[in-house]
Amino acid sequence: MSYLEYTVARVPTGPGKILYMNWALLVLIITVACIGFVMLFSVAGGNMSTWAEPQIQRFLIGLGILFFVAMVPIWFWRNMAGFAYAASILLLLYVEFLGVEGKGAQRWIDLGFMRLQPSELTKITLVMLLVAYYDWLDIKKVSNPIWVLVPILLILLPTFLVLRQPDLGTALLLVMGGAVVMFLAGVHWAYFGAVAALGAGTVAAVFTSRGTGWQLLQDYQYRRIDTFLNPASDPLGAGYHITQSQIALGSGGWAGKGFMQGTQSRLNFLPEKHTDFIFTTLAEEFGFLGGISLLALYGLIIFFCVISAVSNRDRFGSLLTLGIAATFFLFFAVNMSMVMGLAPVVGVPLPLVSYGGSAMLVLMGAFGLAQSAHIHKPRGRA
Amino acid sequence: MTRTPLRPLARILSARQKGENPDVIERENIRLRHEEMREKARQRAEGRLVVLALLFFCIFGVVGGRMATLASSEPAEPTAKASTSRIVAQRADIVDRSGRILATNLRTHSLYAQPPHMVEPEKAARALAKIFPDLDEARLIKDFTGSRKFLWVKKKISPEQKQLVHQIGEPGLLFGPREMRLYPNGKLAAHILGGYGFGREGVYAAEVIGTAGVEKAFDDFLRDPAEQGRPLELSLDLTVQAAVERVLFGGMRLMNAKGATAVIMDVHTGEIVSMASLPDFDPNNRPLPLIEGDRADDPLFNRAVQGVYELGSTFKIITAAQGMQLGLVNAHTELDSQSPLVWGKFRIREWNNKNFGPKLSVTDMIVNSSNVATANLAMMIGQQRQRAFFSELGFFDPTPVELVEAPGAKPLLPKNWSEIVTITTSYGHGMSASPLHLATAYASLLNGGYRVKPTLLKRQGPLLGERVVSEEVSRAARDMLRQVVTRGTATFAEVPGYKVGGKTGTADKPNPRGGYYEDKVIATFAGVFPADAPQYVVVVTLDEPVETSGSKPRRTAGWTAVPVAAEIIRRTAPLLGLRPEIEAATLDELQLTKSR
Repeated sequence: MSYLEYTVARVPTGPGKILYMNWALLVLIITVACIGFVMLFSVAGGNMSTWAEPQIQRFLIGLGILFFVAMVPIWFWRNMAGFAYAASILLLLYVEFLGVEGKGAQRWIDLGFMRLQPSELTKITLVMLLVAYYDWLDIKKVSNPIWVLVPILLILLPTFLVLRQPDLGTALLLVMGGAVVMFLAGVHWAYFGAVAALGAGTVAAVFTSRGTGWQLLQDYQYRRIDTFLNPASDPLGAGYHITQSQIALGSGGWAGKGFMQGTQSRLNFLPEKHTDFIFTTLAEEFGFLGGISLLALYGLIIFFCVISAVSNRDRFGSLLTLGIAATFFLFFAVNMSMVMGLAPVVGVPLPLVSYGGSAMLVLMGAFGLAQSAHIHKPRGRA
Repeated sequence: MTRTPLRPLARILSARQKGENPDVIERENIRLRHEEMREKARQRAEGRLVVLALLFFCIFGVVGGRMATLASSEPAEPTAKASTSRIVAQRADIVDRSGRILATNLRTHSLYAQPPHMVEPEKAARALAKIFPDLDEARLIKDFTGSRKFLWVKKKISPEQKQLVHQIGEPGLLFGPREMRLYPNGKLAAHILGGYGFGREGVYAAEVIGTAGVEKAFDDFLRDPAEQGRPLELSLDLTVQAAVERVLFGGMRLMNAKGATAVIMDVHTGEIVSMASLPDFDPNNRPLPLIEGDRADDPLFNRAVQGVYELGSTFKIITAAQGMQLGLVNAHTELDSQSPLVWGKFRIREWNNKNFGPKLSVTDMIVNSSNVATANLAMMIGQQRQRAFFSELGFFDPTPVELVEAPGAKPLLPKNWSEIVTITTSYGHGMSASPLHLATAYASLLNGGYRVKPTLLKRQGPLLGERVVSEEVSRAARDMLRQVVTRGTATFAEVPGYKVGGKTGTADKPNPRGGYYEDKVIATFAGVFPADAPQYVVVVTLDEPVETSGSKPRRTAGWTAVPVAAEIIRRTAPLLGLRPEIEAATLDELQLTKSR
């Protein structure tokens, strides 16, 4: 279907479009980001310039991107989906060979003013392409094996490249995000059942292969699994992250120790305290109430996305909004589970709060897409 | 696309009649069909969405619930101080029975290099080689200029060394905190403590793991965060251990022995108050095992536990005690002691071809250490009952003491427990056991007859095992051992103020090529003090001693092990809180004169 089929007359045009934005969503995003600034300020020991200021700058850039993306009609973005996906694959290939190394993993492209992680970008471009694919595909063919194979390949290509870096967290997010889009697009249940069975088989294979010549994961990944199952076994080594963050969470109690009063995170016991593990600082300083409030804000963001999607009769816009919401959900669900010791430690940031440029900009771009879908949805009676 | 006809067609026809543009209507029809299709897809998506929403809600619930449980869990409040000690003191201390430190942790630094960040690798290598003379300069230069991205330079360095490395000013040389194990008493109790090594190492932390001794045996306990650094309390007494090691070292030198070991055990609880083995080593810098030569001569070898020796006549009291326990004899029963005793093709003789005449009482059998009389008693006891008794005293299994080395030290038993074996083991030949086995057996026999289990852990109060001999037998055995010291083979064991009882044992060392050496012996003294109300047993064993002050070299335990044991008792009994019994001077020594 081309954009000509949209009844353009019923879609807002011109600068006035800005009034049709999903303002609730925008306000929620800004609120969460502000919580992030406050936490970064606290983690740096009451210092703005360490992490909070660069983060604010990037958030403002991100807001610009959001508005720009939101103003551009959604059908343009649908037509761009293939290009976006191809570009992100090229970037992934580029880091594979020429990227800057950080923390034992090759993930970044140095843009001069910031380091871009193509794997972050891929999370969104993959969702875009999958949604565009299902928008294009005849609804009757959705569960046809050949037409199911195509999106699976589209998902596996970047997953494979990301795993090579190696970045287990992003790879998991890509697979799960892609699966959610396929599920919402209406692919038959049986496929998901088969994949679940296959996954269980893979887990079994991964564990039986351990220590043999053909072992499937890196040693560090096995150790992370080990310490996930029993973090207390190795409090100084691989289990350090989890043990320390759980101490921090526990010491926060119900109401927390108060702003800037967190000792566990401030005294440098927590590694990655400003990035993946920033939630521990929040939980320590603002306790269970703070943590559950953040969770509620995230829940509201998802809720508004879903409302927008359900009221959107354009298949692309609706599915895309849901896909973005799902990706966003996976981000914070995996991060929080990891920090609270419910899931293995994989490098996934807390969305909009963790310090980090790529994830922030990409997320803002993604919310821009959701806004664009909201603005340009067919309004009035069909 | 299938054409769904008629009605749309009808509309087109009617539109044509009205003169409207049918193309517009056709397009409208297509749009409606698409709309319908999308509506269907949307409905299905909505169904799916409900499923997904439920799933997401569950995850929300789990995360929120987890947050609540974590928040309500009363944490070990990590104030700055507590959490520091939590990290620094990951491995618990080891202390003696009075709480004195035997092993603790020391925070030092490790030094590592990241060659890609180095500015002047060669200069840095030369400077490092100057600070650490044990590092090889050429090798460092090779490592620093090669393709390596990371390498450890030194696992632990002192603050002075750290400062010196700082002064090189090389950004590619970096420090990490490193906790090491410190044994502040040096070689003291080295074999018991064992040693440590680093397990998994990171730049920010490293695992300290025990490699031997109690450090390894209690590795899990020492590293268990749930114990919150509760120290491991050993049964050792540091001062007694120091005195024993010092006396034993002097005795070993004086008696020209190549090795020596001593055990002091509480007879009621089985607690090992002191256990020494010489030669020893420094656990702070545990040496590598010897590659060539006899493993039993390795300083790492714990003779008290791992060494299995023929312990000789010290076994006779076990035979005597069993004879009395079975009611076969009492302390005054006369036993046939005509030497030599001919049994099949074997002839059993006394030591030095002595002959104690036709008859000896059981007490005199022990006092004079008669092989023949003991052999005759053993034949009365018989093979089955002897084996059962040895087994009850723990001679058939490795000692259950809490050292990783212990389970590997199985006593050497004769393959076929024949009649002649029954005879020779009755006086301690043909079967090998460790000095700790002997100490345990003596404690069990002499404490009133309750079996004890040797332990290195501090006990609260006695832990009575099952009875092995009766109270009366235990008392009679103590009396015999006392007489060995007052008028028998161990007269050098007399310590003023303490009633020492004990038994000597001298066994020829087996030659690995078969048979026994003529001039190499294992000399053992196993004693108990005070003999009338026993508190401690002591076992001293010297490896290849020879005492040369007389006209002929003397090797028997009475001349070698006994004086060393006596000195150990003299030095340690006061430390163990035993008061000497000062006998009142007899009056006839005094001159009572009347002053005018």
